Amino acid sequence: MTNCPPQVQSSAARRYRLRTLAFMIPYVAICVAMMATDAFDSIMGRPAAWLLALAVAAPIAGQIWAVLSFMRDSDEFVRAVTAKQFIVASGIAMALFTFWGFAENFAGAPHAEGWLIVPLFWGAFGAVAAFIRSSN
Amino acid sequence: MKNKLKLLRVERNWTQEQLGQALGVSRQAVNALETEKHDPSLDLAYRIAALFARPVEEVFENPHG
Repeated sequence: MTNCPPQVQSSAARRYRLRTLAFMIPYVAICVAMMATDAFDSIMGRPAAWLLALAVAAPIAGQIWAVLSFMRDSDEFVRAVTAKQFIVASGIAMALFTFWGFAENFAGAPHAEGWLIVPLFWGAFGAVAAFIRSSN
Repeated sequence: MKNKLKLLRVERNWTQEQLGQALGVSRQAVNALETEKHDPSLDLAYRIAALFARPVEEVFENPHG
């Protein structure tokens, strides 16, 4: 384990919070604008729609980088617990989305948009963080 | 992993925060070690032992023997 003074860890947590805000504010803004307004209706079916898709996906990639940076700058316990929480949240999100996908195809469940996997994952991540407090 | 970390820390009147600073880990990490919610890496185990000037096996109970 690398020596990681607590001051460094608290600044890592602070950087993580700032990066999360920086990435999630534009992501949420685009999603809300898409759901609540017709701001993007005019680009539907045009090349600009691909740019919109990239614009909403980029902050998600950024957020993964923020998590990895936080883990790199944390001590071994925080790193292990964060990894465990991330894996469990990924498993929950993938299992639920796979369940729903098959339910859509074969059981007539209503359609769920693919981009919902992201809020589903982060919701699961927040929920499991309350319970996974051990690295063992 | 069972250990004497809390005992050794309290003997010196250190808080978890102070021990964390001496070891270069977070207070949460010290708490997790004391409550057996985290098994330390070999590196951290040796650093803890060195800090208290004890052999590793005196601080941590060998779970295999």
